[in-house]
Amino acid sequence: MTATTRRTRLFDRLTRVAGAVVLVLILGFLLLPPLFVGVLSFANQEHFGFPPQEWGFRQYIEIGDSPAWGRAVLYSIGLAVPVAVLSVLIVVPAVLAIERSKLPGRRGIQAAGMSSLIIPIVAYAVAMYGVYAEVGLLGSYLGLVLANTILAIPFVLVTAGAALSQIPPDLELAAMTFGASRFRAWWQITLPLLLPAIFAGSLLAFVTSFDEAVFINFLGGAGQVTLPKAIFDSVRIGVDPVITAISTIFMVATSALMYLVARLRRR
Amino acid sequence: MAPLLVALVALVGYPLIKLGYDSLTLGDGIGNYVTAVSGTAAQRSFLVTIGSSALVTAIAVIVGFWLSWYLVTTTKAWLRNLLWVSILVPFWLGTIVKNYAFVLLFARNGVINGLLVALGLEPVGLLYTPTAVVFGITYSLIPFATLAMYAVVSTINPSLVIAARGMGASRFGAMRQIALPLATPGFVASGSLVFALSIGFYITPVLLGGAQSPFVASVISANVLQYFNYPVACAQSVLLLLMAFVVIGAAYALVGRDRLVKALA
Repeated sequence: MTATTRRTRLFDRLTRVAGAVVLVLILGFLLLPPLFVGVLSFANQEHFGFPPQEWGFRQYIEIGDSPAWGRAVLYSIGLAVPVAVLSVLIVVPAVLAIERSKLPGRRGIQAAGMSSLIIPIVAYAVAMYGVYAEVGLLGSYLGLVLANTILAIPFVLVTAGAALSQIPPDLELAAMTFGASRFRAWWQITLPLLLPAIFAGSLLAFVTSFDEAVFINFLGGAGQVTLPKAIFDSVRIGVDPVITAISTIFMVATSALMYLVARLRRR
Repeated sequence: MAPLLVALVALVGYPLIKLGYDSLTLGDGIGNYVTAVSGTAAQRSFLVTIGSSALVTAIAVIVGFWLSWYLVTTTKAWLRNLLWVSILVPFWLGTIVKNYAFVLLFARNGVINGLLVALGLEPVGLLYTPTAVVFGITYSLIPFATLAMYAVVSTINPSLVIAARGMGASRFGAMRQIALPLATPGFVASGSLVFALSIGFYITPVLLGGAQSPFVASVISANVLQYFNYPVACAQSVLLLLMAFVVIGAAYALVGRDRLVKALA
């Protein structure tokens, strides 16, 4: 073995170790913050501090003592359910048209449907503020439902679109050969096959609305307090340790829903 | 298709057009733009926003490449699962929870300062700094960066790198000369998306940067909600939109629509 190859081998081993070390740092960066929130939610303390002196369920008990959190959760759910329904009703017919028809401009509409994902959100919020001030939707329930729906649409569009492109159009053609109308072929063949994806999309829409925290600040009124808004207002003032418990419940709930979405999409 | 079209026109197209129109017709007209970028505070907010977003973009695409490369090349199932979970965790947490997690880490009596004091060191002021904001936005955008990168990196044949090494290249050299050039479209697609998203972040600058944080998002929100200076907020929003469109448009021209759409999906 020559000196050069020995040096190359040493260099290779160093590169490999350095690569692995960086990977561990990245994984730590991604996984540790939520882990700290979860662990610290079991600290018994009135004012946040680290390390905590005592452990227990104090924060979780405090959530129950303050009805404001429950009201915020209910308000968020009351927004997220109609958003999930509305975005499915808007997107599913459009997905059928995009994947199954030859209408001109259908790919353009698909791309436009994704646009709310990439518009800088604060600029979008100002634009919506201007429109809502004009038509009197500021501080209204309907305004928030519509605004959250437009944010949820891309997720339903992607989920349902990907699923539909996997369902062979031949199935519809076969049904039509046996005498079904085009509408009946969609309704009885394609739609049932698409249902898991529609359900996954509506869950994503639900989570998107439940988690929405920017529009609510610009478009919501004083009485409209969603859970993200309540947390946001509290964290703005300081670190209330109760938030660790609320955040932990929030994380577990959204992670469970997202896991369900992943399972539904894999089928 | 009609309901979607109506929703997009009424809730995306019209608001954006009205934003541009209002920015030019209300208040001082074109003077809104002059106000938007004059004064040291306004100028500083744009510089800090652009600089921080550039830093976020650089970190996020490097992390995205790193994670994608291990995802594509690892043969260990447990590592692949761990990587997917780590990439998806920031997605699953919820906007507000992610930012709260960083408040807990960075606060004066938070986790990092607690550890520093335990080690006999002085506590440091981390919360309410642009550094904290960069960490927070990067955390939120790593999933986007990684998925966009993965769409490209997963098309690279890892045997090419093995072949290069068989022909005498070092591990580092093979990565630099074979893998990185092939991943260039991924860097462009994911970098442009991350930058466009980053400049519009609102929650993170406010919670981690403080109410007076020098980010455009905070300035815009103060103009709308505190000073009722809607015309100038419109002008500042239009400037953010233009930056995002220019960056995304450049990426579109460089790598095409498919890679950008794939990056989002």
